[in-house]
Amino acid sequence: MSASIEKKTAEFEQPLIAGNPSFDSVTNSICNIIENKPPRLWYIAISVAGSFALMFFGLIAYLIWEGTGIWGLQVPVAWGWAIVNFVFWVGIGHAGTLISAILFLLRQRWRTSINRFAEAMTIMAVIVAGIFPAIHVGRVWALHWVFPLPNQMGLWPNFRSPLLWDFFAVGTYFSCSFMFWYVGLIPDLATLRDRAKSKIKKIIFGIFAVGWRGGNRQWRHYEVAYLLLAGISTPLVLSVHSVVSTDFAVSIVPGWHTTIFPPYFVAGAIFSGFAMVLTLAIIARKIYGLENFITVNHLEKMNKIMLVTSMIVGYAYSCEFFIAWYGGNEYEGFAFLNRAFGPYAWAYWIMITCNVVVPQLFWFKKLRRSIPVMFIASIFINIGMWFERFVIVVSSLAADFLPSSWDYFSPTIFDIGFLLGSFGLFFTLFLLFLRFLPMIAMSEVKGVLPQADPHHHDKTEHN
Amino acid sequence: MTKGKIVIAEFDGAAGLFKAAEKLRDSGYKKFDCHSPFPIHGMDDAMGIKRSKLGFIAGAFAVIGFVGAVLLQWWASSVEYPLVISGKPFFSYQAYLPVTFAVAVLLAALAAVVGMLAMNKLPRWNHPLFKSELFEKFGDNGFFVTIESTDPKFDDQQTSDFLKSIGAGAIDSVDGVS
Amino acid sequence: MNKENLQGKEYWRSLDQLADTPEFRKYLENEFPEGIGEDNSLSRRNFIALMGASMALGGLLGGCRRPVEKIIPYVTPPEEIIPGVANRYATTMPFGNSAYGLIVESHEGRPTKIEGNPDHPSTMGMSNVFLQASILGLYDPDRSKAVLHDGQEAEWSEFVEFWNGQYEKLSKNKGDGLAILSESFSSPTLARLAGQFKRKFPKAKWVAYEPVGDENIFEGVRIASGQALRPVYHYNKAKVVLSLDSDFLYDESENITSAKGYADGRRLKSEKDDMNRLYMVESGFSVTGGMADHRIRLRSRLIGSLTAALIRELDSSGLNAGGILPDINFIAAPELDRKWIKVVARDLINNKRRCLVVAGHDQPAGVHAMVYAINHALGNIGNTVEYYSMNDSLTSNRAEFASLTNDMNEGHVDTLVVLGGNPVYNAYSDLGFNSAMKKVENTIHLSSHVDETSKEANWHIPQAHYLESWGDVVSVHGIKSVVQPMIAPLYDGHSAYELANLIATGEEKGGYEIVVETWGGIINGDFERSWNRVLHDGLFIDKKSSAKKTGLNSGSVKNHLKKNISSYHAVLGEDIEISFAVSPAVYDGRFANNGWLQELPDPITKLAWDNAAQISHNTANKLDVNNEDLIEIEYRGKKIEAPVWVVPGHADNAITLTLGYGRNSCGRIGDGVGYNAYLLRNSDAPAFDTGVAINKTGRIYKLASSQDHSSMEGRPIVREATLEEYRDHPEFAPGMVEHPPLKNLWDDHSYEEGYQWGMTIDLNSCIGCNACTIACQSENNIPIVGKNEFSKGREMHWIRLDRYFTGDVENPEMVHQPIACQHCENAPCEQVCPVAATVHDKEGLNTMVYNRCVGTRYCSNNCPYKVRRFNYLNFTKDTPESMKMAQNPDVTVRSRGVMEKCTYCVQRISEAKIKSKADGRDIVDGEIVTACQQSCLTNAIVFGNINDPESEVSKIKSRNRNYELLKELNVRPRTSFLARVRNLNPELDDSKKETSN
Repeated sequence: MSASIEKKTAEFEQPLIAGNPSFDSVTNSICNIIENKPPRLWYIAISVAGSFALMFFGLIAYLIWEGTGIWGLQVPVAWGWAIVNFVFWVGIGHAGTLISAILFLLRQRWRTSINRFAEAMTIMAVIVAGIFPAIHVGRVWALHWVFPLPNQMGLWPNFRSPLLWDFFAVGTYFSCSFMFWYVGLIPDLATLRDRAKSKIKKIIFGIFAVGWRGGNRQWRHYEVAYLLLAGISTPLVLSVHSVVSTDFAVSIVPGWHTTIFPPYFVAGAIFSGFAMVLTLAIIARKIYGLENFITVNHLEKMNKIMLVTSMIVGYAYSCEFFIAWYGGNEYEGFAFLNRAFGPYAWAYWIMITCNVVVPQLFWFKKLRRSIPVMFIASIFINIGMWFERFVIVVSSLAADFLPSSWDYFSPTIFDIGFLLGSFGLFFTLFLLFLRFLPMIAMSEVKGVLPQADPHHHDKTEHN
Repeated sequence: MTKGKIVIAEFDGAAGLFKAAEKLRDSGYKKFDCHSPFPIHGMDDAMGIKRSKLGFIAGAFAVIGFVGAVLLQWWASSVEYPLVISGKPFFSYQAYLPVTFAVAVLLAALAAVVGMLAMNKLPRWNHPLFKSELFEKFGDNGFFVTIESTDPKFDDQQTSDFLKSIGAGAIDSVDGVS
Repeated sequence: MNKENLQGKEYWRSLDQLADTPEFRKYLENEFPEGIGEDNSLSRRNFIALMGASMALGGLLGGCRRPVEKIIPYVTPPEEIIPGVANRYATTMPFGNSAYGLIVESHEGRPTKIEGNPDHPSTMGMSNVFLQASILGLYDPDRSKAVLHDGQEAEWSEFVEFWNGQYEKLSKNKGDGLAILSESFSSPTLARLAGQFKRKFPKAKWVAYEPVGDENIFEGVRIASGQALRPVYHYNKAKVVLSLDSDFLYDESENITSAKGYADGRRLKSEKDDMNRLYMVESGFSVTGGMADHRIRLRSRLIGSLTAALIRELDSSGLNAGGILPDINFIAAPELDRKWIKVVARDLINNKRRCLVVAGHDQPAGVHAMVYAINHALGNIGNTVEYYSMNDSLTSNRAEFASLTNDMNEGHVDTLVVLGGNPVYNAYSDLGFNSAMKKVENTIHLSSHVDETSKEANWHIPQAHYLESWGDVVSVHGIKSVVQPMIAPLYDGHSAYELANLIATGEEKGGYEIVVETWGGIINGDFERSWNRVLHDGLFIDKKSSAKKTGLNSGSVKNHLKKNISSYHAVLGEDIEISFAVSPAVYDGRFANNGWLQELPDPITKLAWDNAAQISHNTANKLDVNNEDLIEIEYRGKKIEAPVWVVPGHADNAITLTLGYGRNSCGRIGDGVGYNAYLLRNSDAPAFDTGVAINKTGRIYKLASSQDHSSMEGRPIVREATLEEYRDHPEFAPGMVEHPPLKNLWDDHSYEEGYQWGMTIDLNSCIGCNACTIACQSENNIPIVGKNEFSKGREMHWIRLDRYFTGDVENPEMVHQPIACQHCENAPCEQVCPVAATVHDKEGLNTMVYNRCVGTRYCSNNCPYKVRRFNYLNFTKDTPESMKMAQNPDVTVRSRGVMEKCTYCVQRISEAKIKSKADGRDIVDGEIVTACQQSCLTNAIVFGNINDPESEVSKIKSRNRNYELLKELNVRPRTSFLARVRNLNPELDDSKKETSN
């Protein structure tokens, strides 16, 4: 037993958590973030993000009042930035659960430093993503018809529609991720409850800690529940974006109707998700001085994953072209030539540069471990992945079967506003999380400290 | 809440707690618990308690979700209101898979979480242990054994002596049992 | 009956007055605040009026009608009117010197839809865009609603008073200084009134003016035949047709029968059939040019030379064209293609008496005279073309109009009555009509809108729409018919008849009386019975009307040509020619405020909401301009600015300006749309001229086009072949796509039972005239979205015409393809809708359930034909009240956020089903006619039950040219197309084009 753990820790050049802290130093350094006043930077950030979030809600109100005509949509391009943003944010929302679930099952214990954080990001991203399919429909007030609710007309939704699958898949994904995240939070909330000075904090944390007492008779159910959630979420991570990809793959639009979409989308989602985690983690660890918890090793591991997924995505891009040529379908063939050399070529090449070229930097250990490099790279990747969705959605629709209906999509000021607004909302939610909840899973971190092992006393330094 | 008390004894780190648990188990204590800031590996055996049954509950609900979803979709689109859509059969089960999967997973997850709380008799906003100053750092770096007076082997004096003998540090006790 | 009539009048008049009292109005306004909308177009008063009208109409059908023309409240509903069931009445639409017989569908007294009258020789049950759209003119909220005196609102009675004064004065001096400027007409009653007018005021003038018309044709025929005649063409009898700048399929008068005849002449049941051949010579690309088997581009001015050269060619090929040519070497012009002329001449000679040569109304009289001579020489007169005398007609006359303007300028005119028309806007700019009008003391203008001319006139009289007033017309075939009102005047307008009668006789009379007075002389025998017959049928068959025997007066032709030789013999070199074309949408500008027509994509350029300066690729390069570049066109010292639109196949060194735009006083729709080309138009060169300078302004003007991409990218979309190719490979059309067997992975739904609706569209007949688009818009309450939305690509037309160019960029061929919902059996749109808002019914219709639609637009994305239209905004929100009256109560008006599309006119299907059920029988083939099919000039569209092997649609689907678009997707469309066939002349076939894949 102990041997195995040593082997695991030995995989690292350094231990999982740098500076070999004690239990209470872990508790303090993480709880202090919440208990002390946040740094000025936080206030600046929240006010910027917050105002964009407010604009977002304002725009939504106007959209519902005026109609989807405020966007640049038309026929043939009846889906525009709204859907692009949806797919983009759902994609972002993948890293969290992947890290918490799959890495958990794979016993990748280095995940403990970043999983809380990543899960939070997942939830925020999915919240933002979920807004778009809801508001992009023509008659928002009738949206509940997509759910199988009994009604006097005896009408039921069409279970063959990928959009319907979407609502179920994304809904389930959000619920599971949320439960996963919350269950993970319970012990830490209990800790905060017991540290809380003010009554009000005691009450609030008390309520959400649901009376956790950290007894092993609770831990044993808790651990199974957590394991189950991990097990359940794992297929979800793969299924959600696969289902999202069927929105396109199931249709007959040239450039959409492709069987490689599910794996391709999942890889892309993980790719973009990690990029976003990285961006946020780098900022957070700088602001809050968490270099010991989120070490360069963690970041490097994420870079490796990004390198892999970027190559999967790159492979998918080329595979599409190969099939388009090999399949000999003139419509599909044209769709892809049009993508790379048609009116949307600029978007296509932005995508290739950001998603395929930039990540190649990570072949070099030096760059892989350089904070500035990976920060800039991660931002490029975020941009590139947005453009990937743009290219798929818009350029395919803009030129399908009958040239007579071809048209060029140009966004309006509102399209841009909605994109910026969605970022505003995302960062607002995330900053609030940083402010009020432990961004690192204390109990889990403690669990991976050397002295956490009952048969490890000889090595344990007492304090 | 019935009359009675809970004895709280602090131990030194995960290792200490682990050993204490084994000793308590061997000396036949039943109604005791070991509190730690994080789950300790192998503690179940150390305390002599069986693994959780939660898995079966979740599994059951997954099956219910699966069957329910299939039935709903079959009934709605081939019995209640059949519609010709893209010339496809009324019961196009292939297309029903994503929804079925989602519903099954959702129910399983809910079952796992709700089941976990239920088995832990949570949420519970108050508990005798919360009265103890000492106990407060269980979430930080405290490792405690708690023994309830309802335990047949419980005896005020002996129990605390025994705890000391197996290396307990500070000892505290609160009135009332869970 | 007169007594009856009088009683009637007495009684109703009193009620009418009641409706007029201010208190009554006030009370109504309180009761119906929304009735007085932004434009107060449907006040309760008008509502009573139209209810009354329906009563009146009730009388119009069948035996016992009482001439009720004044309005009554809807106290006792007339038995003819069953709420919810449409009534149909016959009437006639006057248009220039033409008359188009119509059947108007009317719901509870509101005319809602116009169809052709099957019995009328000029429509034969069909209708073009102008006829279809004219109904919107009736409900135009911007129509003038009151008499204006020097801009102030006045009462009709005041005007009558004023005129009585004038009448006294003018009677004394035999009408010296009095002039009537009317639109051209062919109408017994107006002719009678004109006669009375002349008798009463011998010194007065009555002149007709139309900015666009057949004046040159009439003049040419007069020169050649010595009589006032007008041609009637029988394209169906012609094996070979040569069109010299004549867009006879679209903007020439009588285009409906021309198109029908032309299409009949090339219908192919199988590869064994024969078809006619069309040669086209023109400057701009026209609808007819698109249908041509051989087309050459030539500046309009050179077409005279070509005609002359052709005559020479015919002469030298031993056909005596009458020696009408002055001896000049006409072939000199380097632009002329000698070989082409030779071949065409031979083809014509080989088809003596079975060919036809026509020239466009823009070509000068001499060309028409020559064309007459050619047809005469070829023995076509009496076979493919006949000439009817022009009775009861007054035609537009440039010379007289010019001299009238001159008189006005010199102050010889003190009273000018403008009966309709809008000369201030569309008169030749060199005449300076506007300033001349200012010199006239009393100017009276009758028009439906307070337009440019009304603003200059002392008196403006609101003109009643032809659907609101009595009148009569003579068709080209000399067939007389009556214009009868479908509804009482909405804005107390008065017809030209009423005004002319007042002017000529000084007494006030209702249109009905005036017309009946004339017809008393026309109908002999039992007036009551035959009059009712006329009203019921919509026309009066007059034995006297028959074609004239005519000869050729070569002398006068020769003289004319000598006199005007410069018009028929020009060497232009690189000079840029400017030519003025009538707008395919707003015609001469009279429809400028008609939203349907403004939003109708031009058949060639696909532009809407604007007119452009059309030029060829070469010329564009030469001038270094691109689409949407704003250029300044300078001609005879006058300048206008116009945006460029490059049209493949346009003649080089030529620029075509479209007339009818740039109005500034026609209403909310048309004001400020486009540029006004009339400003460059001169009376001595009304159609085309050289000597223009073109300067770039460096500015851009955004144009709205409904189709950005004109190439088929080599895809088998519109499938065509030459006649030989077709005969070699009869199955070429379906064979153009290779695909695996189209099998479903599941058991198909059975469509064996009951009716199964399907449609065929014959691309060999379709000329791309847009009539179907407007008919559909009218039938299905399709909203107008405006230029901004249109340019975004949000037009709502359920059936659109795709236009592709094939072959050489400089001189391409053009093909049209009407695309509406194909009603696929495996409709891709259905499976992707999350709420099952679009599903199939058991008769194979792809139904759209508006109430269920949440507007995900997924169906539109997944529609390979992109025929679905989405209400991105609330397009119907600000429909004026009066326009709502034009809407079809059988069709839902769609709200914001829902998808819509072609329904195969499901409301007509249901109507037929109900009827057949009531009669306890099955629906017979041809009983259901979709709106597009009904209007189609060439019967290209056929709809019916494909389950019945005997139905026409089934028979057509079994023809070998039949193919389904994008069949390889296994969507199984219910609409199929018949491939197009071009009948190329082997001798000219060197420029052999590839068929479209």
